Amino acid sequence: MSNTRLIFLAVAAVISLLYVYMTWIFSPPDAILGENVRIFFQHIAPALVAYGLFGGTLLCGVMYLWKGDLKYDIIGAVSIKLGLLFTTITLLSGMLWANAAWHSPWNWDPRETTTLILWIAYACILAYRASVTDREARAQFGSIFGIVAFPMVLLSYLSIRIWNTLHPIVIDESGFHMGIEHMMTLFVAMIAVTMIALIMVELAYKVDSAYEKLMRIRMSRS
Amino acid sequence: MTSGLGAALAIAKKDIIIQLRKKFEAFSMFLFALIAVLAYSFALVSQGSIPADVGSAMLWVIIFFMGMFGFAPIFLSESETGTLRGLATAPIPAWAVYVGKVIYGFVLMGIVEVFLVPIISILFGFSFLNDIPLTVAVLVVGTLDLSAVGSMASALVMPSEAKATVFPLVYFPTATSGLILLIEITKIIVLGPGVVPIMLLFEILLAHLIAMLTLSASVFHFALSP
Repeated sequence: MSNTRLIFLAVAAVISLLYVYMTWIFSPPDAILGENVRIFFQHIAPALVAYGLFGGTLLCGVMYLWKGDLKYDIIGAVSIKLGLLFTTITLLSGMLWANAAWHSPWNWDPRETTTLILWIAYACILAYRASVTDREARAQFGSIFGIVAFPMVLLSYLSIRIWNTLHPIVIDESGFHMGIEHMMTLFVAMIAVTMIALIMVELAYKVDSAYEKLMRIRMSRS
Repeated sequence: MTSGLGAALAIAKKDIIIQLRKKFEAFSMFLFALIAVLAYSFALVSQGSIPADVGSAMLWVIIFFMGMFGFAPIFLSESETGTLRGLATAPIPAWAVYVGKVIYGFVLMGIVEVFLVPIISILFGFSFLNDIPLTVAVLVVGTLDLSAVGSMASALVMPSEAKATVFPLVYFPTATSGLILLIEITKIIVLGPGVVPIMLLFEILLAHLIAMLTLSASVFHFALSP
């Protein structure tokens, strides 16, 4: 393991511990939501990281079509899988939050609905990729699909600004609408979850690359 | 650019002529829509009527599902008749093939919608008379949006092992964002002004159409050369 990777892992571990400390000890209870405010940090950070991962799929799609290098396709597919994982965390933590704040885990709020659609949309891309057996075609057409599906991410992100929604807008042009302790905790949560996501992308990329090589060896022997 | 648009119109004209000779595809889509109206009515009719906002929303849901019948065969038929390679190697830009198919999909859906929209509005008991110009604009932009997405989805399923099964999986994710906006705008037309300004939603729908057309047309040559 290289030094750079070790340092990155060590920093990620320290920031993750800080994230846990700030979420559960440092951050004060909210005036209205009380202790339930702690769910907020497990909700916003994975949501933004999931958007970033789906953005990564778009970028990798463009790069694959431009360069034709299979590694971009593998990273793009990994981004979808991890984006789905983080969207699942977002949906589940959102349901806990909704139950505490609005007394029902699911309210068909525009943000809830568009996030669920986003989850289904990217799951469809995975199912589609599995249905294409030719490796080159899967990479080429999967990249195109990853590009044309991206407007759904934008619509999900903008949904609370377009529609009347239960979701509070905590970040807008005028800045952050929350207490300084909550803002600091959210900031640390964002860094920690992003670093965890990057580590997972690298690990999953290595596993999938090894699997690709194995498949190629099997194909050449058969 | 001019030759590309000319080629796109020629491709659309060819497909429309073939469709007019066959006839059954548009008619089957129309019948499917009527069956869907009946099926939804079993679930939605309460005391002899359906709420106007629900009925108007169902219009786009039915058009959305009808699109699966109309758009899925767009490239499949070219593949079955062996003309797909001809389109791929023709001395025309790839985006012209895509735009031609979008125009064809739009005309095909438009033919069905001319009959379907009045029938559904009568059966589901809602009226577009509040704003006819905006209704026409929404129907045109909405159908074009679904056609842009459906044509791309049809091309994307070409390398798949299970084309018929996979088409909805490709069509759904790309069409849903437009569908949400279409339902919302149509509800506002039928019920009157709501909290969200209707023109904002229409502008987002227009932006979605432009984004889908631009994204799809710019990467379409990759879909034609697997």
